[in-house]
Amino acid sequence: MANLMNKQWLHEYVVVGRKKPTETEPEQPVYRMKIFAPNQVVAKSRYWYYLRQLKKMKKASGEVLGVYEIFEKDPLTIKNYGVWIRYKSRSDTVNMYREYRDTKISRAVEQMYMEMSGNHRARWSSIQVLKAEEVKDEDCRREHITQMHDADSIRFPLPHRVKRAYLKKHRGVFKAKRPMTMISK
Amino acid sequence: MGFARFVEVGRVVLVEYGTGFGKTAVIVDVLDQNKCMIDGPTTGVARQLIAYKRIALTDFTIEIPRGASSAQLEEAIKANDVLAKFAATSWGKKLDKQRKRAELNDFDRFKLMVAKKEKSRLIAKEYKKLKKAAKV
Amino acid sequence: MARAPRYYSADDVPTKKKSFKPKPAKIRASITPGTVLILLAGRFRGKRVVCLKVLPSGTLVITGPYAVNGVPLRRVNPRYVIASSTKVDISSVSVDKFDDAYFKKAAKKSAKSEKDFFQKDAEEKPKAELPAQFKQDQKEVDNALTAALKKDALLKCYMKARFSLTKGQAPHEMKF
Repeated sequence: MANLMNKQWLHEYVVVGRKKPTETEPEQPVYRMKIFAPNQVVAKSRYWYYLRQLKKMKKASGEVLGVYEIFEKDPLTIKNYGVWIRYKSRSDTVNMYREYRDTKISRAVEQMYMEMSGNHRARWSSIQVLKAEEVKDEDCRREHITQMHDADSIRFPLPHRVKRAYLKKHRGVFKAKRPMTMISK
Repeated sequence: MGFARFVEVGRVVLVEYGTGFGKTAVIVDVLDQNKCMIDGPTTGVARQLIAYKRIALTDFTIEIPRGASSAQLEEAIKANDVLAKFAATSWGKKLDKQRKRAELNDFDRFKLMVAKKEKSRLIAKEYKKLKKAAKV
Repeated sequence: MARAPRYYSADDVPTKKKSFKPKPAKIRASITPGTVLILLAGRFRGKRVVCLKVLPSGTLVITGPYAVNGVPLRRVNPRYVIASSTKVDISSVSVDKFDDAYFKKAAKKSAKSEKDFFQKDAEEKPKAELPAQFKQDQKEVDNALTAALKKDALLKCYMKARFSLTKGQAPHEMKF
């Protein structure tokens, strides 16, 4: 899973842009959009992709006024995130609402891309993130999310453990012995 | 056969991978079946999400609310003295020994070797004495 | 990017070549005068020795001391050495006279005549003696060093013992 690694794949950007002002129309409305992208270049590209579907404007006729990254206010508490997406399945275009638990909204979106590729074979190009936001505990709909809400009820053992090398470089390809994975405690 | 060690808020864990390797920390929140949030304000483990694969559960727990702050946790750890309790177990002692061994420098290793030789010399001496006494 | 100058000479302007002067070699911080070193190459490999001085050429002046483990005053390449964290107090040892010139051997006679060649076989040449001055210097350094080594009960024994790795020891993960 990408979000197990420290490196973040996706970041949350705000891209602001408008149509280039002309002599007849000097005042142009400004459009702001939240984009999840690996970097600013992709963020701008996605901005124009979404905007030309919504408004009569495109990159050639518009200008980007600014691209800013939004950082999570509190990246050390676990939250619930709802992600609304629209994706092109093999036969149809489908809207979806999915829930994730994570510390950062961009990581929740990362999780979504991973899960969509695993469960639905959906690629980055066939998924559009419509909305992603934090969801309160009581508003969560998915059982695999709500089951983690009651602190008192969360109590489970780890019955199957594989003893691992403490650094990746010490990990070998072959082992002389099968690992002892049964933990009775 | 019941289990004694559970993933739960307040469980003392040992970090077995990465930067905090060999240090103890406490679970402050549970993310899902794979990951949890740990914190070790007294041991120098940064508050972080960590996979269960990378930690080992110990026998000890402390009473903390879910998502406890580092300060709250520090207070609870100090009040309970739970890390000292873990260090006193045979597991904790083993870790301490391993750590000490790894920190020896070349001269220390030499001194250790000399001390070991002296020990086995004394044992052999005593053993011979006893053997002799047993024969007579 | 800086702007190119307006004026550009059509002819090549000769530039003065800077003469290269070698700077005194830098040596890793773990090696200082007094550090106990483990030699890794050469005749004395595995011996624990004391570093006396770092020469501007980048080599180290070391000695066993000779009286303790038989390593004489000599120069070694710091690349073939493990620096341990153990230090010996060498403030009582005078090392001023040891420089690169001190260790330079007299040039060997290169032109060999036929006569010399056969003479060599015929009569055994007496083995080249070390200069008396060197022996004297070694003695002085040894005396001062062994006195310093005696401060720790086991240090002399330690210097006498050879370094070796045993099963399960990985030198890149060990502290020295």
